[in-house]
Amino acid sequence: MIGQHPADLGGHGGGGPTEHANPTETQMEDFTNTHILVGEFELIEPHTLAQASESLRTHAGEAVIMAGGTDLLVGMKMEHIRTKYVISLGRISALKRVDTNSDLVIGATASIRDVAHNSVVRQQYCALAEACQSFSTMQIMVMGTVGGNLCNASPAADTAPALLALDASVHLTSGVREREIALSEFFTGPGGTVLSDGEVLEHISVPAPSLSTGSAFLKMGRVAADISKVSVAVTVVRSEDRVRQCRIALGAVASTPRRIVAAESELLGEKPTISGISKVSQLVQQAIEPITDVRSTAAYRRHLAGVLVGDAFRQAWLRAGGGEIT
Amino acid sequence: MVPEQQQLHSIGQATWRRDGQAKVTGAEEYVSDITLPRMWHARVLRSPYAHARIVHVDTSYAEALGAVCLTHADIPKIRYNERIVSTPPHLYRDRYVLADKARHVGEAIAAVAAPTEAAAEQALRALRVEYEVLETITDPEVAMWDGTEPIYTNVQLGDQELSIEHNIAVQRTIELGDIEHGFANSAVILEREFATSRIYHAQMETKGVVCRPESDGGITVWPTAQSIHNVRQLLGEIYSLPLHKINVKRVPIGGTFGSSIQMNSVIPICVGLTLKSGKTIKLVTTREEDMYDHVRYPSRIRLKLGATKDGLLTAGHMHALSDIGAHNTQAFAFLSVLSGWWASLYKLPAMKFEGKAVYTNKTPSCAMQGFGNPQATFAVESLMDDLADALGIDPVEFRLRNYVGLGGTFWGQGPSVQSIVLSDGVPELLEKGMEKIGWPGRPVSGSQTGRYRRGIGMARGFHTSGAGAPKPGEVIDYSGAFIKVNEDGTVDVVHALMDHGGGTLDAIAKIVAEELGIPSDRIGISPADTLTTVYDVVTHATRGVYAGGGAAHKAARKVKAILLDYASRVLGIETNALVIEPDETLGQGVIYCPSFPERRITVGALAKLCQTNSWGSIAAVESLRQVNCPPAYVAYFVEVEVDTETGSVRTVRAVIGSDCGTVVNPDLAVGQLEGGLSKGLGYALVEDNSWEQESGRLLSKGFWVDGKTPAMSESPLLEDIDTFFADSYEPSGPFGAKGIGEAATNPCAAAYGNALYNALGIRFTELPITPERIVASMVAAESGATKAVLV
Repeated sequence: MIGQHPADLGGHGGGGPTEHANPTETQMEDFTNTHILVGEFELIEPHTLAQASESLRTHAGEAVIMAGGTDLLVGMKMEHIRTKYVISLGRISALKRVDTNSDLVIGATASIRDVAHNSVVRQQYCALAEACQSFSTMQIMVMGTVGGNLCNASPAADTAPALLALDASVHLTSGVREREIALSEFFTGPGGTVLSDGEVLEHISVPAPSLSTGSAFLKMGRVAADISKVSVAVTVVRSEDRVRQCRIALGAVASTPRRIVAAESELLGEKPTISGISKVSQLVQQAIEPITDVRSTAAYRRHLAGVLVGDAFRQAWLRAGGGEIT
Repeated sequence: MVPEQQQLHSIGQATWRRDGQAKVTGAEEYVSDITLPRMWHARVLRSPYAHARIVHVDTSYAEALGAVCLTHADIPKIRYNERIVSTPPHLYRDRYVLADKARHVGEAIAAVAAPTEAAAEQALRALRVEYEVLETITDPEVAMWDGTEPIYTNVQLGDQELSIEHNIAVQRTIELGDIEHGFANSAVILEREFATSRIYHAQMETKGVVCRPESDGGITVWPTAQSIHNVRQLLGEIYSLPLHKINVKRVPIGGTFGSSIQMNSVIPICVGLTLKSGKTIKLVTTREEDMYDHVRYPSRIRLKLGATKDGLLTAGHMHALSDIGAHNTQAFAFLSVLSGWWASLYKLPAMKFEGKAVYTNKTPSCAMQGFGNPQATFAVESLMDDLADALGIDPVEFRLRNYVGLGGTFWGQGPSVQSIVLSDGVPELLEKGMEKIGWPGRPVSGSQTGRYRRGIGMARGFHTSGAGAPKPGEVIDYSGAFIKVNEDGTVDVVHALMDHGGGTLDAIAKIVAEELGIPSDRIGISPADTLTTVYDVVTHATRGVYAGGGAAHKAARKVKAILLDYASRVLGIETNALVIEPDETLGQGVIYCPSFPERRITVGALAKLCQTNSWGSIAAVESLRQVNCPPAYVAYFVEVEVDTETGSVRTVRAVIGSDCGTVVNPDLAVGQLEGGLSKGLGYALVEDNSWEQESGRLLSKGFWVDGKTPAMSESPLLEDIDTFFADSYEPSGPFGAKGIGEAATNPCAAAYGNALYNALGIRFTELPITPERIVASMVAAESGATKAVLV
């Protein structure tokens, strides 16, 4: 077998370095130059969302949106992402809002830290506060955004299970048309969303929970500051000592963060018991499709998902005003 | 114990390190901060294949872009070993500045330099390399099979060609006494196999170098290095430059954990580019390149130990296999120290060590904090606990009956570096440790039920202090220092020693201050380079304070004698009747005669007199080989809590006791122990760093996001880490000091293994002990298949 390294010399005559050989074939991706952003691009910094949509339409197929940049810049340094235009939302101040007047509204560029530290979020949307806190490293929490975490669409995005369990919806705009869809309809696969060309996430809205609602988020990584091996969020709405509503969502166990509807209905109308929760865990374990990768094994992920679902349910039930489950 | 007459003013005081402010404010300048006029930037082309012949490198397109290119064709065909700590007959030389053949993913094939890093990157991508891809060998067992593709046909050992058979880089057998006889007289014999992983050093700073050509044909080099003198000698050898034309500067280093014990591979590449182009060139590696540059030596150790019913060890047999990766940096030394640490942990009337180090197509192994000691100690201390269990003797008592202590023989760097133990704080470490952790109250191993289970475990160990011994051995070990008293009574210490971040140079200043009777803030550490310092071998083997400090102490004694001679002339008092003491009010050293206290002069005034009277400078240069290698003992006691459902392990408390002789700076010594815990628990529980079998690539691809190491979140809270120091004095060390740095981490993984055994009744023999492994072992144990996880 004869290999080449790298084969393609196209475009080296003038300006900046451009495309090069298939990186998978030559395994160049291990040795990209992460000191610098190798690909040349133009940074566009609109002051309004309309301008952002306009730019996105003008450069359709050649532009990416940047919120906090914590995933995008890494992807660009690793050259998984190559783009001619980067449209930063950083100068659109209205997008930074975290509004808790009625429903929770999180602007597209509100930082992970702003959400994690918001007192209403901490009291009423515990799963989301815990998910944001679990980012763990200060640099990422300050720069990273909840909107970016969703649009990056990693199967392991930590805010996604929390927002799914909290029944969030996302508000999308293209400058021409606006639409609001349930977050559970948003993800299409690893890195994939329903966002169409020219469309930008404007905000996320989460319905205000009733007093008898509790939620919890749990994750495990190899260390605290890590991508999840498994993440779990559970929301329970209590009616007396019975479960009135339940939403269960997991991350890093399928191609997208997802709700496990089959398990959610198990305890509806029931008093939660140890065996009931155990059944919920089993249903979750049957519904997920974990893989083996550098972070963990499929078998362990399946096992852990069951354990964490049980733990998160118990925590959510306590927060909903229910008691210890026996 | 400090002799009573010693009233210390500098040693033992908690003081701020002199480089601390620069470090925390970001003012410190590391290699990557260096910018010189008209400086170019270099990038290295690295092999994407684990094993491949390099058929052709075409540099024409890159050169057309204006870049300077360096390939194997350009470099001197001199094979070398980048770590020249072993004596020349024990140096295995198997590498060139740029590879003749790619032997691991990330091997340096070619390099380019251009006016900017972006231009260099562009030129790098214009290089065309044609490879002939060969079979990738990632398993050391497979590597030794008949018919496996040879990674090398031959290398150089000393000056001789050495043919390599079955990819075995080096083998060592060391036998003392009759093990068959010993095992025959044992009441209990246990044997287990242990495995430890090839973790990445994860030091903060990646490797870098700046090289400037000088008008006289020489070069000045600013490298990431643990030894500026060894870097200079190797550059001289490779590029046939006289040493006085090579000046290697000491640059502050962002941690090493041993990863720069050798001349880093990018240093001669950058020098080659400078010599070819006449340009000043900077070359700094990315994190990904660095993760493909070095790892800790992994080990597979099969250990058999026998003991009498009275709990005395009778014999031991250790088989060790290490997958050294693509280059033999110090495999001979590694096998030597594995045997040595084992022989020095416990008294074995008979022992046999059989070690093999095997080439594979993976990142080369190099020394890492403890150099073989965490590996050996994990195996030995795990099996010692099991033996104690089998004999029904308390594990601590069993250790006290068998350990090598005062008067015993300690192997500081394998069989050729041995000395007698002169200071021994082990009983104190173990007794205090037991008391602090609540040893008598620990649960019966495996007796607990329920989701959360706690366990307490201990392990002891040590590291050597330096690699000196009465006889010349296989290892070079000496240091030198130059000390001068300035005309105001302040002092400059010129020493080639590297400080890895632990404050070694600050300790040197305190030692000099103590000897001279001058306040420690009047002692300065000079910038160092190879033109102005005498030789120091390298900061490794926990030798900085003991050996480097010993040399400084020797030079300070001489300076003191000169000071007293001049003072005698001025004060009219016999030299022997004079003392120097720091005067707090004056803020400097004062020389006086206790019988005639009015006859006094400050060191500053005396130094000024020496200058104005043209008597000469007060200065001395000395070099010292320590003829001992004292063990710096450490004991770990840890309490863990295991969530048996998730398999996660929380450190509830850690008690770490150290016998480092006299403590030079208590705050920094505690920092060493806390750091040792953090590094050790990563090795024990988290870090894996695995390779894809087929491609020879890291599973992490070298990306930091998947090269996980513990951070503050994984460390216990400071109030749950209890550190203490034995009341100990090493007669051969400067003011009784010996080492601490590597000792601080060595027994950590074993202590975790023993604590987990106490909590769960399951013996883990493979690192890291991840939640995945714990859950799998729990499931196996519950289904009655306990034996499956025990060996």
